[in-house]
Amino acid sequence: MGIIVEHVSKSYEGTPILSDISLEIKDGEFVTFLAPTGEGKTTLLRIIAGVETPDSGRIYYNDVDVTDWPVQKKNVAMVYQWFVNYPSLTVYENIATPLRVLKQKLSRSQLDQRVRETAALLKIDGLLDHHPSELSGGQQQRLAIARSLAKRADYVFLDEPLTNLDYKLQEELRAELKNIFGQKAEGAVIFATPQPIEALALSTQVGFLHNGRLLQFGPVDDVYHKPLYMEVGAYFSHPEMNIFKCALTSENGHQFLKATDQLKLAVDAFQGLLTDSHYMVGIRAHALSTERESEKMIPIKATVELGEVVGSDTELHIDHQGISLVSLLQGMGGYDIGQEITVYLNPERFFIFDESSGKLVGQTHVELNR
Amino acid sequence: MATIELKNISHSYQMDRREEIPIPQDCNLDQGFVIKDLSLTWEEGSANALLGPSGCGKTTILNIISGLLQPTIGQILYDGKDVTALSPEARHIAQVFQFPVIYDTMTVYKNLSFPLRNAGVKKSEIKRKVQEVAEILDLTHVLPMSAGKISQAEKQKVSLGRGIIRDDNVAILFDEPLTVIDPKEKYILQRKIREVQKNIKLTAIYVTHDQHEALTFADQVTVIKDGRMIQTGNPAQLHTDPQSPFIGYFIGSPGMNLLTCTLEEDVLDFGEFQWPLSPAIRQALQTDDPEFQFGIRPEFVALSHEKKAGTVPFEATMVDNIGSYQVVTLSTNGIQIKGRAPEDMRIDVGNRLWVGFPEESVRIFQNDKRVF
Repeated sequence: MGIIVEHVSKSYEGTPILSDISLEIKDGEFVTFLAPTGEGKTTLLRIIAGVETPDSGRIYYNDVDVTDWPVQKKNVAMVYQWFVNYPSLTVYENIATPLRVLKQKLSRSQLDQRVRETAALLKIDGLLDHHPSELSGGQQQRLAIARSLAKRADYVFLDEPLTNLDYKLQEELRAELKNIFGQKAEGAVIFATPQPIEALALSTQVGFLHNGRLLQFGPVDDVYHKPLYMEVGAYFSHPEMNIFKCALTSENGHQFLKATDQLKLAVDAFQGLLTDSHYMVGIRAHALSTERESEKMIPIKATVELGEVVGSDTELHIDHQGISLVSLLQGMGGYDIGQEITVYLNPERFFIFDESSGKLVGQTHVELNR
Repeated sequence: MATIELKNISHSYQMDRREEIPIPQDCNLDQGFVIKDLSLTWEEGSANALLGPSGCGKTTILNIISGLLQPTIGQILYDGKDVTALSPEARHIAQVFQFPVIYDTMTVYKNLSFPLRNAGVKKSEIKRKVQEVAEILDLTHVLPMSAGKISQAEKQKVSLGRGIIRDDNVAILFDEPLTVIDPKEKYILQRKIREVQKNIKLTAIYVTHDQHEALTFADQVTVIKDGRMIQTGNPAQLHTDPQSPFIGYFIGSPGMNLLTCTLEEDVLDFGEFQWPLSPAIRQALQTDDPEFQFGIRPEFVALSHEKKAGTVPFEATMVDNIGSYQVVTLSTNGIQIKGRAPEDMRIDVGNRLWVGFPEESVRIFQNDKRVF
């Protein structure tokens, strides 16, 4: 059982937002649509939920065509980026109100139990008598999630629910979302986010949207470890993947993809596969280190641009002969603008993309044991 | 530029200025005071940050530094000279606010030259200075443009330019300067601010609620909570040597694991397991109160599938693979901690993992203070 999206397209005032999107969501999955702002994630979410109708294409819930059904007729729930709660009602009443209009009537004690259980799950059971205005941003979003959960909707749609929270709250609520929705036995969760880290931490399936097309859709590990397009690899990384242009060269009978005299990758293993003069080569930031972890690592000289602290790590922005790169290092501090350093690249973490189509041509990535 | 010193600053919006230092006998800092006995030094040419959640008193401190507000108690010194009574104009502090404060109808050139024209500087000198500042800030190509037409990040650079164009400023304050900047431009502006601070040796004070911005910009970060200084240090010190559990949790992601435990003979007892103490730690925990908080950052928790000396069994109850590494939630009988595992370590929910706490990474707290 689940949702089938078939050839869905949508334009606004002549501008195509979504072009021919088809995909299948199975019950039990946590599906994330990942894309930068403005790529149609929210529109796709709203069309699947039935808040908007597509220009063409069909939506099926459990094999029933629901494309033209009003949203009220479907057992769905939505949580938005902006915390949507009834300001004049208490936390208790905010959760209880959607339950009073359910088709299957709940007895008073069933309703009370449902409200209290859901509030406890979201850790707002101590705030039932409060009004939303008395809650912090994080608590307001917890309440919005509780309201959507209490209905026990088959399909829950989450549209960037963590975007307007500060990073500590994002960290807490992200872990809780996983806990809460991991226990969801029936139905599915459909989530939209611009944050690769949320897609990685939460989803079972990920779809990447680019120019209105679903560029890649599949299990999260597959999409992450084998991005079929440069755009997918570049964005679905945390931080963004380093990508630079290389020429295919031959030196002493060996083939290299070469960006500079130091930044070059031996590619004899790809013999026959590489036929163009240039390729785009990608490597994720955590495969660049300031320590030589093995003899195989490729050393390059670079100048520090900025040590950007993110969480407990430093995203070290560096310049190597005009190529901007980022190295992800554990810990913080210790680097300053203008400092000359040597950085080592792991030769087993490269992706090779076609220069014009952006398609994945090959990868030196050793298959991970998962 | 100058060294700026705050000396025993306390502030209450309900009370008039008092000259006694540090705290008059009839004042209770827990009643009505939004800033509580703050003493800090910002060295000439250094990059500093004030970091704290909203409502912690950051804006009050800013207003006290810039002279908009007279502190109830305490002094502000520039290079050792008391300036507490000086007006904002006489303090020569430049400010960059959340929203760029520039004249949209004027050209960028006019905006940058404004502070100099006001001060009656010669025209040829103005031209030279504007060109120099524009060069530093990568604004040369937009000089003739109307300031209303440039991007938010460029506008913010113009604000910064107006702050640094005069030679007589003693410091520059940044008040959440990246708030309205498009995410794509944030990095460029962040880098530029840091570069300018370093190259022209600005005494800079960057105020923000954002850990990442503060730790990226500053060499010295002061964490403020409820009007009180919690800790001052460089980013690495705040990360590895938190002086309170709050800093351990607030700095870094995921935050430090904090577990309650009891001292018994020469072990720390967690109920489910015990952690043997080396003589050095045992020595540091000389106290009547046996309750402690045990802290260790997730990245320093040692994880293994095999039993090793000194390790404790936990069950992996959640595994977040965030690409470059995995965050593993580990549980044993009500005790929960987080650990960090490399991307290629295979861990499934339900696995038993042997967990070690390397002594050099353990921090121990009592009553909100670091004791080891």
